Amino acid sequence: MIGRITNQMAAQTTLSGIESALDRLDTTQQELSTGKQINQPSDNPSGTALTLQLNNDLANLSSYNSNVTDGTGWTQAQTGALSDVTNAVQRIQELVTEAANGTQSQADMSASADEVNQLIDEIKQDANTQYNGQYVFSGSATTTAPYQSGSSDSYAGNTNAVTREIGPNTSLTVSANLSGVLGTGQTVAGQPAGDGLLLNTLRNISDDMQSGNSSALGSTDLTNLSSGLNSLLGLSATVGSTTDRLQMASSRIASLQNSASDSLSNTQDADMAQTEINFSTQQAALTAALQAGASIVQESLMNFLGSTSG
Amino acid sequence: MTIPTYMGLQTALSGLEAAQAAIDTTGQNIANASTPGYSRQQVNLTERSPLTIPALSSYTGQGSQLGAGVDITSITRIRDTFLDSQYRSQNSQTSADNTNAQILGQAQASLNEPTSSGLSSVLDTFFQGFNTYSTASNQDGSTQTIIGDGQAVADSLNTLSGQITTLQSQVTQQYDTLTDPTSGAVASDANSIAQLNVQIAQAQSAGLNANDLEDQRDNAIDDLSQYSNVYVSTQSNGMVNVSFGNAASAAQNGTTDATPLVDGGTVNLSQNLSDSNLSGSSGTLGSLLGLYDSTTGTGTLSNYLTTLNGVANQLVTTVNGAISSADSQGATAPAFFDPSGTTAATIAVNPSLSSTSTPYTAAEASAVNALSGGSAEQTYQAFVTQVGGDVQSAQNSQSTSQSLLTAIGNQRQSVSGVSLDEEMTNLIQFQQAYQASARVESTINDTFTSLLSMVSG
Repeated sequence: MIGRITNQMAAQTTLSGIESALDRLDTTQQELSTGKQINQPSDNPSGTALTLQLNNDLANLSSYNSNVTDGTGWTQAQTGALSDVTNAVQRIQELVTEAANGTQSQADMSASADEVNQLIDEIKQDANTQYNGQYVFSGSATTTAPYQSGSSDSYAGNTNAVTREIGPNTSLTVSANLSGVLGTGQTVAGQPAGDGLLLNTLRNISDDMQSGNSSALGSTDLTNLSSGLNSLLGLSATVGSTTDRLQMASSRIASLQNSASDSLSNTQDADMAQTEINFSTQQAALTAALQAGASIVQESLMNFLGSTSG
Repeated sequence: MTIPTYMGLQTALSGLEAAQAAIDTTGQNIANASTPGYSRQQVNLTERSPLTIPALSSYTGQGSQLGAGVDITSITRIRDTFLDSQYRSQNSQTSADNTNAQILGQAQASLNEPTSSGLSSVLDTFFQGFNTYSTASNQDGSTQTIIGDGQAVADSLNTLSGQITTLQSQVTQQYDTLTDPTSGAVASDANSIAQLNVQIAQAQSAGLNANDLEDQRDNAIDDLSQYSNVYVSTQSNGMVNVSFGNAASAAQNGTTDATPLVDGGTVNLSQNLSDSNLSGSSGTLGSLLGLYDSTTGTGTLSNYLTTLNGVANQLVTTVNGAISSADSQGATAPAFFDPSGTTAATIAVNPSLSSTSTPYTAAEASAVNALSGGSAEQTYQAFVTQVGGDVQSAQNSQSTSQSLLTAIGNQRQSVSGVSLDEEMTNLIQFQQAYQASARVESTINDTFTSLLSMVSG
């Protein structure tokens, strides 16, 4: 190969050895200080693409997760409200059963009618439950209170569904159609006619108690009331199954987040133990290059000629 | 026949002169041990024509040839022109790789990926903002968030586009500076080579070896080779013709170059510094044209810009499209991105949005969120991968060609470089030769002195 070695060559070789040792140390040092093995795309182009993709996945999962949390808030608020409504309806059922046996005085019946009216207000209050500032029983009109307290039982919301994205192309309806159970009350106040739904029935019950019509209370009212209660329980079951789906989605998202974070860490994070060992090895190499360079470059024939040549 | 009386003195004198010339040349080598481009020199010695003495032997009557000393025929430099041409071709390649790695590295740095401030993360945040908007109760606040996030996306693309455009103008400026016909580096090297050509030809016509001038000329050609391919052909008068760029590659394959960059003592700049002669060639200039050619508007950087414009266009089209197709009520929701800005430099959030309190329905916002991870992001990720791959391969070629250049440079040094140990050894050898010749002089002197004293006595 190379026959003659000149002083410039020796100096160049020493210098380039030191430079490349420093260059490797610099790269390792960057990995150590950032804890990442991908610090710019050129470190690993395909790994960079995977990193960006995984970050995007994680961002999407985090969106889904906040949607699931939000949806769970909705269903919890709905569950609480529906259980209050159910309690109120059950209390009314007791009152109707007592009034229907015909042994109560008119004063007792009027008192029951007053209680029924109060309970109707309470039910409408429950229907106006909000979560995070949004009415949960108003359809998609989440800024409008569905019912007004007082004698009017009209429904101000709509029947559009409120959905939350809980996965890619997977949306879940979190709104519950309480107005389909409660209805809009009596068409004309004091007249029994209406949509036949729960508020209609309750208003009729109140009117029948007021007028002491215990036979109507014992027959149609009680039947309508229990069918209303059934639809109420059906709605609670629907909300319960939505809560279940949200919980499943939540644990699925958590496990996806885990696996995406693991892959991300495998792709972009430096293996610290390995990097530390590399760092020590490279540092030793640099020290050796410096030592060798320092002694080789200094020595020449002149050191040994002494005064003979002078 | 007899031997001429003072011939021995002349022979010893020639030895003294040869040793002195050798010591002087050793001194020159040592003095230039660190001079870049210096080739070590050596004194070429031959024996002088001998003195023929007929019938030297009185017994046999046979003649003989008597040695007459040493002659200094020339002082030449030790250099391998084959290694020179290898070095220059590798030097062109290394400069091209350095330029590529440097400029592409800058393009990569402007991407700022993979960090939380790169466009990829900004886009993630942008789409998340639309998701929040779609579930929020107070959409006034969310409106400000999506507008802010949208502006961040537009700003990122505007900045990226601006940085690549700046790189393009840097490339053009560097190219223009190097090829400037009066002050450019190529012109300056070419002029030095032409001037040295003239001086070397003068020296050679006077029968002299212009070692040091040739070193300077080789150095200038080495320097020139970093800008593009060079091809050197030596003329009989000692001048060299230097072809440049694509013409050099053609000349290497046997095509005659009618207008070489350096033609003896003249320089042809305009024919050689054209885009057509340099485009696709090696060296800094070829590499710069490959990155961005301002005349045709093409090059790697232009391709980057085109891809970025594609990302911007996809973003504007898909986001605005998702909003208008989710617009179920028939109410015309405002476009999110200004539809007139469809390039990376011009993308902007629709300015009329800021005055609208809740511009979008939840369905429209969630249609935009569904675009997360869609075509625009995929194009951008592919773009980042492409830039990363380009930089990686540029850096790999850079380190390979750098070590090849060092290897060839070392071979050249091995032939032409000065070894101080060798020079010291030579110095001792020549010093002793000088001392020995001096001793011969004094011995002859002593001989004559004793002869003369006998005669006078």
